[in-house]
Amino acid sequence: MSTTLTIPKLEMSMSEGTLAEWMVESGTVVKEGEVIYTLETDKTAREIEAPVSGTLIQKVADGETYPVGTEIGEIV
Amino acid sequence: MAAGNLGIEPEVLKAIYGQMARIRAVDKAIQAGLSAGKFMFTYWPMTGQECIPATISQLITARDYMVTTYRGIHDQVAKGVDLYGMFAEALGREGGLNKGKGGSPHISDPSSGSMVTTAIVGAGAPIANGFAISAKERGEDRVTIVNFGDGATSIGAVHEAMNLAGAWKLPVIFMCQNNQWGEYTPIPDYTASPNFYGRAEALGFRGVQLDGNDPAAFHTGMKDVIDYVRAGKGPVFVEALTYRMGPHAGVGDNYNAAKDVLAAAKERAPLEKTRALLIDAGICSEDELSALEAAAKAEVDDAITRALESPVTPPSETVTDVFADVDCVPQRGHHPVREAEAASTGETKTMSMVEAICDAQRVAMTNNKEVFILGEDVGDPQGGVFGTNKGLQTEFGKNRVRPTPIAEQAIIGAALGSSIAGMSPIAEIMFTDFFGVCMDQIFNHAAKQRYMSGAATHAPMTIRVQAGGGMGGFGAQHSQSLEAWLLHSPGIKVVYPSNALDAKGLLASCIADPDPCVMIESMMLLFTQKGEVPLGDYRVPLGVAKVVREGTDITLISYGWMLHQALAAADELAKEGISAEVIDLRSLMPIDYHRVLASVRKTGRALVVHAAVEFCGYGAEICSTINSELWGQLKAPADRLGAAYAPIAYSQAIEFSQVPMNPAIVARARAAVKS
Repeated sequence: MSTTLTIPKLEMSMSEGTLAEWMVESGTVVKEGEVIYTLETDKTAREIEAPVSGTLIQKVADGETYPVGTEIGEIV
Repeated sequence: MAAGNLGIEPEVLKAIYGQMARIRAVDKAIQAGLSAGKFMFTYWPMTGQECIPATISQLITARDYMVTTYRGIHDQVAKGVDLYGMFAEALGREGGLNKGKGGSPHISDPSSGSMVTTAIVGAGAPIANGFAISAKERGEDRVTIVNFGDGATSIGAVHEAMNLAGAWKLPVIFMCQNNQWGEYTPIPDYTASPNFYGRAEALGFRGVQLDGNDPAAFHTGMKDVIDYVRAGKGPVFVEALTYRMGPHAGVGDNYNAAKDVLAAAKERAPLEKTRALLIDAGICSEDELSALEAAAKAEVDDAITRALESPVTPPSETVTDVFADVDCVPQRGHHPVREAEAASTGETKTMSMVEAICDAQRVAMTNNKEVFILGEDVGDPQGGVFGTNKGLQTEFGKNRVRPTPIAEQAIIGAALGSSIAGMSPIAEIMFTDFFGVCMDQIFNHAAKQRYMSGAATHAPMTIRVQAGGGMGGFGAQHSQSLEAWLLHSPGIKVVYPSNALDAKGLLASCIADPDPCVMIESMMLLFTQKGEVPLGDYRVPLGVAKVVREGTDITLISYGWMLHQALAAADELAKEGISAEVIDLRSLMPIDYHRVLASVRKTGRALVVHAAVEFCGYGAEICSTINSELWGQLKAPADRLGAAYAPIAYSQAIEFSQVPMNPAIVARARAAVKS
């Protein structure tokens, strides 16, 4: 079963976030808890960890801003 | 380090760590789920504060009551709230502890003693007093612990609650988790106080400051505090020093904190420190702790997996749990028929409305020892500002008729908490105008408790309140008719009697009702209305209006003191050959649309009359229903007549013209009939 990655809503006021940088290449096997990308909001920058172990598939480019809920990748 | 030097039994320390690990597993799972976009809810992290509830968990049982706040997931976990039910609740699922209707900021789980969770800062403190009253009156040795943050010490509700608890020596612990931040604002930006526990000392009861990050010291300190409170020596305010590692809301680090401050706080963070201590002291091996942490994670993972399988609570649940009986919820086109009271055949006595109210309370208190009265000046000899409780304190004692500080939030909160515990309190608020200082307790808490808890708990309390108006000379802050505020707050029943007989019968029904009820008592009627009132347990069912004068040309619909103006207007209209039917609503919520519509169907015309401001008033609501239900059958559109849009003036000339007195009613009714 794959786990979908979406731009999270980290703050009540958050409506979009910037996927600043993918920290691992697409197709890489990651471990749960490993940092996979950095997310920037108007308040803070945060390292986002893999919610599960598996192979990371990137679906969007980094350096872009996306609305909350946008699917950015999955872990299969 | 030798275990003997720890200042705490090794097994207890290990158990505390076990709770910390469970809390951390929950915290991590929520933050991971939010970060992945798997969860979409607001989270108020308590990372860094785990030691406080983890330690308390070793000193209390599920019998002890807890009230906590939205930043209280750690409190819930340590109190023993079922994790599946908690996650399902946070996700808005049917399987949630509260059917997904409350969410994580409103957990109510009597089976674990987690009674009330509020999202209003500081509002739990007055409610906690109510739980403490119930324990004390029932002779139970339960303690009530109310958790709140340091930020909550700034709000009036906490001060009011502390003062009341001190005055009444209640078995309650004010657990101030001082995490150094009031949401986004740090100490000392929001207070010049050097500490918080000193405020308890200023109010005449015990305050202590403890290190909330040191399980051994905190355990020792809290054991003493809990023993003290359990022994009935009165309340204690505990300032537990800790640090909030996360932001006010969201995930990750507390980005408002300076980096060096946050780094220093991390050094003192309790979970990591306690873990190291267990290993250094030779109490646990690394393997043991890893296994314990893995078990906590497995418990959390299982709870989340099952919670996600639970269906989202559907819209079909929208109006259930507003009241015990869903038929009390006003719904378009649904006008239930409720049976009226039978004519009383028993012995009667001539009573004023004041005496009738007092008698209803006396009967209820005699029949049920869990009925008690609280409010300003309710004790003898005066028995309340209008004497509605005269003699009751003398008859039933000081514990069952409790004069309070002048603190309406404390009064309503105490009534609310005790009612959730199953008692039947009657809280007296001197004037409806004072609802302004306690509306949070009424509309955010009492009204919503059944709904937010998915009926896990409910609040069978009664509020009696006096209303001025129509007498002149009381001014803008003692003369208002504010029933629309209450009627616009789903979950509260409202009655407004126009005579002594109904006052007794409606109050008796309110006291016995499973939902929070407000009875509005008109100052103008308290002494002027006299009539034959049955002795004993006489009741008028809620939601049953009464035709008090029959007629054929127009229906005048009113309640309370304005009903008498409507009756006088009907007399005047009769002289002009206009036959007015007059309906006394008696109950405003639930409303008896069945009898109202039956009357208007007959007369073809309706005028709703009330002393409240006409604009956005109850009359507009009733007229709208009549017009849409009886469209095509009406001879004139239903109309409403209320007060002018202005505060009530001190000048009698203005007041008597701004509220709809008899001549204005006659003119409006005449116009409707002649149109």
